[in-house]
Amino acid sequence: MAVFPSEEWLMGLEQKINSDERYSEVAKNWEGDLFFRIEADGNLKEDLTFYLDLWHGKCRKAEYKPDATAHPNPAFTLTSTYGNITSVLTGKMNPMTAMMTMKLKVQGSMAYMMRNVPTVLDFVRVANEATSEIL
Amino acid sequence: MQPILKINLSTGNTEEFIIPREWERDFLGGASLAARILYPFLTKDLDPLSPESPLLFINGPLTGTSGPTTGRFVICGKGPATNLWAESGIGGFWGPELRKAGYDGLWITGKAASPVYLWIEEGRLEVRNAAQVWGRDVYEAQEIVKEEIDRKNARVAVIGEAGERGVLYSSICCDHGRMAGRTGLGAVMGSKNLKAVAVYGRNKIPVAHEAEYSALRSESNRALKQDNEAKIMHEVGTAGVANYAEYLGSMPSKYYHQGSFESVDNISGSKMAESMLVGFSACQGCVIACGRVVNLGDGQKRKGPEYETIVGFGPNLLIDNLGEVVRLGELCDKYGLDTISTANTIGLAFHLYELGKVTKQDSGGLELTWGSFLAARQLIHMIVRREGIGDLLALGSRQFGAAFDAEEEAVQVNGLEVAYHDPRGVSGMALSYATSPRGACHNQSDYFFVDFGHTYEKIGITYFERHAQAEKAANVAKHQDWRTFFNSAIMCIFANVDPQMQVDLVNAACDLNWTLEDLMKSGERAWNIKRAINNRMGLTRVNDKLPKALLLPHKEGGTMGFVPDLAAMLDAYYEARGWDKESGKPSKGKLLELDLVDIARDLWG
Repeated sequence: MAVFPSEEWLMGLEQKINSDERYSEVAKNWEGDLFFRIEADGNLKEDLTFYLDLWHGKCRKAEYKPDATAHPNPAFTLTSTYGNITSVLTGKMNPMTAMMTMKLKVQGSMAYMMRNVPTVLDFVRVANEATSEIL
Repeated sequence: MQPILKINLSTGNTEEFIIPREWERDFLGGASLAARILYPFLTKDLDPLSPESPLLFINGPLTGTSGPTTGRFVICGKGPATNLWAESGIGGFWGPELRKAGYDGLWITGKAASPVYLWIEEGRLEVRNAAQVWGRDVYEAQEIVKEEIDRKNARVAVIGEAGERGVLYSSICCDHGRMAGRTGLGAVMGSKNLKAVAVYGRNKIPVAHEAEYSALRSESNRALKQDNEAKIMHEVGTAGVANYAEYLGSMPSKYYHQGSFESVDNISGSKMAESMLVGFSACQGCVIACGRVVNLGDGQKRKGPEYETIVGFGPNLLIDNLGEVVRLGELCDKYGLDTISTANTIGLAFHLYELGKVTKQDSGGLELTWGSFLAARQLIHMIVRREGIGDLLALGSRQFGAAFDAEEEAVQVNGLEVAYHDPRGVSGMALSYATSPRGACHNQSDYFFVDFGHTYEKIGITYFERHAQAEKAANVAKHQDWRTFFNSAIMCIFANVDPQMQVDLVNAACDLNWTLEDLMKSGERAWNIKRAINNRMGLTRVNDKLPKALLLPHKEGGTMGFVPDLAAMLDAYYEARGWDKESGKPSKGKLLELDLVDIARDLWG
């Protein structure tokens, strides 16, 4: 477990995804990479990006601060402020609330996402468990 | 707002009703204003299907202004199956067209000597013989009327055969499958020998501060187009929530007696989008376009069903063939039947057949077995033709159940069939159904969205865990007030627009100076007047209930054995509402606080 946001945290999340049996089962049909854009606010002084390639319940690749041009067509791009993303990561905000109130903006196939809400929610659980502290 | 045209079909008399300015200020428009207008006329003794029974088509001040999701109108009266307040919202283009024709409402009473339709063009009314359209389905009838009046651009609100034959859950349709489905007002229209109302106009739609409204309209529509929920509604339709609802156990299956439906992937909005979707349809000015156009492989473009129809004819009957669900929904639409009530009542027939209370002899030889779309289709025909068991099914689930000594098995509240959001999965719906002024309705408060996680911080609607009990009662009441505002403006519940923006839009359109508090108070006022109407018609706390099936725990699925503690929830709700716990009436103090002085006098002396 590590402090969010940091490269160490992202590597820990990758490890957690790849070792979590429940996630592996829930997400066994998921095929899609995620590009996160975290907008600076509070303790985060500049915008941050990270990337996860999730495939059949595993994480095939994780990148900290990638350039957007490195991943031009991710399955989903998720954009949020630092304050809102940390609220989700610490369990203070329901991830569905974040999405439904536009605190987390989603770009990608809504048909795919709505078919796989349990996977999305379990991904958030894993991320919560991989986070020990917030910057 | 513009005048309401009063039409007595018995006498042919007409007159204009000018809406008092203070009523507009207090109730805005739509269903709220209709409740204020109709309050004196909706009495306990009124037969909803009698000539005296009023049928009010009414707009809101935002109707047709191309604001976010504002192409809507509402139809109000007394429900023939509920004998209570009835309202049914509807999209399409008819309401905006009526505004352009110079009216903001049609208040219809009486009964024509033979079938007629109304033709309103630029403020002129003509009552026409409907012999050529009586007996036609809702799509054929629209086309014939347009041909007869020689105005292709006219908009036509119409009933199908179900309304003509008095099926108590008949709908009123306009455009391509936009339905005022709930509460059976199609039967009220049919009882007046009124087949259709065609409207056409070219007037400008009135907006108080045009430049200001125009800027707000653009800003709010732009934001709405980027909204996550709006994107879901557009890409996947309302049935996009089916997978999530199944996960939570809030999507009923097997007539609310099974906690999970394994084949959800076969009938979901995602499945429709991926397998048969060929286009979208939208109501006037709407940037979401949640309407589906599908092709079942026969080259024909059809209306794709929304969530309620999919679940009603899908999991509710254990049918997992999406193509057949599309066809069943289409058949109901053509006949002018509410799909929620039709599928629910057929579900009860299947359930009672399984229990042995309905026999093969009762069903005219039909095997009413789960999963049989052929039986469902045949029952729909029999309902509309009033043949055999169909004649009993046409009365709705409460009366159908009673006919087989099993009224308690009917999943309805006060005569309106429960929609497809199970309170065992999303507990707020327990109060939504039990206290809705029109029976078990999901649109007076679609609280399942709040239980999914949709909060509105600016108006104090916060998140409670989906299985929370009495602690969420005040939150539900607030949400009801919020949605009552929507039904007065009139806006679609899918308009996820910032509440302050809603106030700004209303102020610009109506020359008001409302705050968010004023907006919420307007909703609360209308919620209470609807309650008062129902109290006068005999409703008491005893009516605030849930059917037996919704209070039994499931052994499987996402509800995790939960059942709502309705008694405790109601106590907390009454407290939050300021309602009298004994009589079920709004307290005198609450009515006076809401400036409903005459209503307070009427209810309390």
